[in-house]
Amino acid sequence: MSKTRTPKLWRLLAAIFALALVAAACGGTDDDPATDTTEAMEDDAETTEAMEDDDAETTEAMEDDDGEAMAGGTISMAIVAPSAKDDLAFTQSMVDSIAALDGDIDLQITDGTFVVEEAAAAIRGYAEAGVEVIVAHGTQYGGSLAEIAPDFPETTFVWGTASDTQGLDNIFAYYPAADEGGYVLGTIAAAISESGNIGIVGPVEAGDAVAYIDGFANGAKDNGATDVSIVYTGSFGDVALAAETAQAHITNGADVLSGSAQMVVGAVGVAAQNGVPWFGTQANQASLAPDLVVASQVYHWEGVLQQVLDARAAGTLGGEVFEINLGNGGLVIEFNDGYPLDPAVKTAAEATIAAVADGSQSTGV
Amino acid sequence: MATNTGEVMLEMRNITKRFPGVLANDSVNFDVRAGEVHTLLGENGAGKSTLMKVLFGLYQPEEGEILLNGTPTKITSPTHAINQRIGMIHQHFMLVPTLTVAENVALGLKSGRRPLTDLKAVARGIADISDEYGLAVDPNVDIWRLSVGERQRVEIIKALYRKAELLVLDEPTAVLTPQEVDELFAILRDMRNSGKGLVFISHKLHEVMALSDRITVLRNGKVTGATTPAESDRSKLASMMVGREVKLAPDKPLVEIGKPRLTISNLSVDGDRGAVAVDGVDLEIRAGEILGIAGVSGNGQRELAEAIAGLRSVKSGSTISIDGKDVAGMDTRDRRNAGLSYVPEERMRDGAIGDFTVAENLILVDHGSDEFSARGMFKFAEIETHCSQLVSDYAVKTPSLETPTSSLSGGNIQKIILARELANEPSVMIASQPTRGVDIGAAEYIHSRLVDARDRGMATMVISEDLDEVLGLADRIAVLCDGKVMDIVPVEGATKEQLGLLMAGVKS
Amino acid sequence: MLEYLEAIFSVAVLASGIRLATPYLLAGLGETVGQRSGVLNLGVDGVMQLSAFFAYWTVLVHENLWLGIGVSVLVGLVMGIIYAIVTVFFEAQQGISGIGIFLFGLGFSDLMFQKNVGTPRFVKSLPDVRIPVLSDLPVLGEALFSHSVVIYGAFLLVPAVAWLLRKTTFGMNVRAVGENPQAADSLGVSAQRTRFIAILIGNVLAGLAGGALVLQLGVFQPNLTQGLGFIAVALVYFGAWRPSGVMVGALLYGLVAASVLQLKALQLIPRSYSDIAAMAPAVLTIAALVILAGRVKAPAALTRPFARH
Repeated sequence: MSKTRTPKLWRLLAAIFALALVAAACGGTDDDPATDTTEAMEDDAETTEAMEDDDAETTEAMEDDDGEAMAGGTISMAIVAPSAKDDLAFTQSMVDSIAALDGDIDLQITDGTFVVEEAAAAIRGYAEAGVEVIVAHGTQYGGSLAEIAPDFPETTFVWGTASDTQGLDNIFAYYPAADEGGYVLGTIAAAISESGNIGIVGPVEAGDAVAYIDGFANGAKDNGATDVSIVYTGSFGDVALAAETAQAHITNGADVLSGSAQMVVGAVGVAAQNGVPWFGTQANQASLAPDLVVASQVYHWEGVLQQVLDARAAGTLGGEVFEINLGNGGLVIEFNDGYPLDPAVKTAAEATIAAVADGSQSTGV
Repeated sequence: MATNTGEVMLEMRNITKRFPGVLANDSVNFDVRAGEVHTLLGENGAGKSTLMKVLFGLYQPEEGEILLNGTPTKITSPTHAINQRIGMIHQHFMLVPTLTVAENVALGLKSGRRPLTDLKAVARGIADISDEYGLAVDPNVDIWRLSVGERQRVEIIKALYRKAELLVLDEPTAVLTPQEVDELFAILRDMRNSGKGLVFISHKLHEVMALSDRITVLRNGKVTGATTPAESDRSKLASMMVGREVKLAPDKPLVEIGKPRLTISNLSVDGDRGAVAVDGVDLEIRAGEILGIAGVSGNGQRELAEAIAGLRSVKSGSTISIDGKDVAGMDTRDRRNAGLSYVPEERMRDGAIGDFTVAENLILVDHGSDEFSARGMFKFAEIETHCSQLVSDYAVKTPSLETPTSSLSGGNIQKIILARELANEPSVMIASQPTRGVDIGAAEYIHSRLVDARDRGMATMVISEDLDEVLGLADRIAVLCDGKVMDIVPVEGATKEQLGLLMAGVKS
Repeated sequence: MLEYLEAIFSVAVLASGIRLATPYLLAGLGETVGQRSGVLNLGVDGVMQLSAFFAYWTVLVHENLWLGIGVSVLVGLVMGIIYAIVTVFFEAQQGISGIGIFLFGLGFSDLMFQKNVGTPRFVKSLPDVRIPVLSDLPVLGEALFSHSVVIYGAFLLVPAVAWLLRKTTFGMNVRAVGENPQAADSLGVSAQRTRFIAILIGNVLAGLAGGALVLQLGVFQPNLTQGLGFIAVALVYFGAWRPSGVMVGALLYGLVAASVLQLKALQLIPRSYSDIAAMAPAVLTIAALVILAGRVKAPAALTRPFARH
């Protein structure tokens, strides 16, 4: 009877579909069980990469337990971060920084873990697998770290952006003095603005976004901008809302825009459509709008990370707070050659960078 | 009578339909002529519905054939059946409440204005049918606004609009008031006289006697008799249905009437919407006596029962006493301890828990007593002994004590409730609609158990809308109208006409 | 006070609100058809993310917007077929199946983006088409008649879907099947077939919503929708299962969001209230739902699989 045969065929099709789902979710990666668990929980955190093979990692971890010197040897590191590793913003800044470190580093990445519980599982998984330095790249992971770090006293946890170590001696904290670059970019924005009206697109009012935006606003106002409009959309991810915010700024007369967090791509798109110059932060955003991105404040975590590794080599597993700023080279203003910036403005900006770096110019934040 | 005058429209020959473990139809022969009402009579589960589902293409028989106007036809689907001019009025209406009458009628039909609907043309067709058969209904009104009787008219119109010549009516009177039944029968007679063939499925004997031209009786999947109303009577039909002699009214030995056990005075109760539902009722029931409560549905019967059971609060000044003890202020458990038992009207809502097993429902009230539990743990051995005894005493047909109660028939569920309620030898029993929707066999059994308990000295109140039941069971009959007791009459000498007038509020 | 009103009732806010409302409207209209047939689809958001990614990727590679729109529709169709098979033929629990589709869409679009694109890059976005004469009308012309074709299309779909449900035999079948599938089945209206088609319509519109969203922005990012599809499902309840009601809901949502942005941009909302104000659209929608709750009835057979017994 055809009536009974048909459902079987459907069942077969469904089974194939389910298999396809599993295959897609695993995405050909074959890393440690911890990350696989994370992936099973949600298909989102699938990009886990191992730059070195797994066998070497295990050996190294054992050597480390024996207290062997690490300088010159391979060190295993892992990053757990909330957005995509190539988000042109927060997460990418950290991934790029580790790639820029000298030395032999076995790096694993779990990105896209905007669900905190998922990130916590990944962090614990890496710690259990013997990873020596684990970077928890998100303020929101602090609570999980306070629970996990005491269970792994031999492991160094690096947490940011944060300005305290929660009293634990195996946590290093780091944060960017994002107001410094913000202030510099603000002065440039005021210089190129004709209307004196500048619009800023922010996410949720918290963390380094606030520092950057306040610094930017102060820099602009100190240099003649009459109207600096700040909008926090309430979301780190809502690209459409960021786009409409940029549109509102432009409608209201803004002729220069900036913004912070990963949803700003929407705003950059609107800026590009309207030929409005853009200032970026966290990572170099010139690739988004090669003609219109004037400059970006780029986070370079290499210095901090190097200090972390050095401290660990010297036997200190944590307990310190690091700031990256213009003075220590952790914050860098990268100008985009594609934008025809008036050399006089650029020269003035470089002077401001120096003044902020040596403390003679306050950002007012 | 139009018997044997018309052409044979339908002939079902040797229809056999099996389900796992059940022979639902066993070589059943059944035919319908134009211009007759051919009744299919049988208990629940006798195979009536299965046979009609075969006719309507919902089931395929394992054996046998169907001839329509003499031509062997394999009916493969409801649509196919409709195209063969067979119409089915289901017991549970197949209507979409949020659609209009016209839309419900048009559903599934090819529209003349495809892909658009053509409701105006449908409305005209409905008006024609309404005129021809006196089926008045507004085509443009949503179904949910209609009364039950009107909805049934829509179902009939749906079938007639599809040019049905053969109409199957599955228990069409189950949900109707007596007046609506009369109207329906008038319409059905008109349809018969205009040459339609009607199959009437029912187990209500007086309706069958009133409407049928021919009667075929099914029992356990087999045809056990074919007769006509002229050659038969209600008790013969009942015997054919059940397979043995059936007493439609129980034997009631004369017993000595004892002391008053339930005394109600000046009882007033509000209804669900606040209006007075029971208005100053005085009643007394003595040991060894059954008081029947008669009345048209909705005249305070339900509120009266619930007030006595403790499910509904009473107004001040009301008293209810059991064996001389005032129970009006007590909760339900204390009333039970005082000797009250209650068989509720909505048995699946108030009387038993469908998902519970037979055993669980049998001890539902006493599950916390020392008999069945100790220190919070059930005594499984005692429970099983007790329940097995009840199941066999009350002839409950169940595969096991662990069977979910909802999978049993209405009659067996009612037997479980009655077994539980009678297990503690109560002094007072309130039985609301004790046999509504219950097979004749089970009803007979339930009646005899109630009479047995009466003989042992229980005071019983039987509330029923079925006058035959009240007349057969009660020693005295109180008639309720508008929340008041119109009169209390002894059953000897009481007639339906007399009770009917009292029910209508006319006092002689 | 006046400046607040001027800010809210401006051409810019109206135009922005309409743009923001469009994906909600498209997805909500599709979900309306599905729910009227008795099928709840919580996978809308996942379908939107998938269709958004593939539309974006198509335009990135082929630089053809119409191809991108076509691909978004195709993705919706494919996901619709999958969802329909699972819920109609296997009678799977609709809530869980929908969440499965959502998680798949969220994860798979992210994976495909990381593998095939990586860094966000802009593609050309849907151009605004000024409708002659109408767009020259004072004030409203600019706000209403200077949008992309997808936006016009979305709003034209409102009467179209209403017409489909009200006036066609298919629409009548959908309503019947969503209310009492047994009754429809007894008259030869296949509940399965009707629901299958209704699900396809719903998913195609969800796909189009994803395509409209991404091609309006010109850029894709993982989890682009940010739960937009779930709001769209809520708007169906808000709109009392009527296309016009869904449109009112979507416009309300979009206009409130746009108003809040504009008030913030004009610094009319103090910064300390900024995050609270960002919740305004959701809060308003929920408030309206609470007020409306109980006044309208959902299709009686919603989420109930149909099988002949």
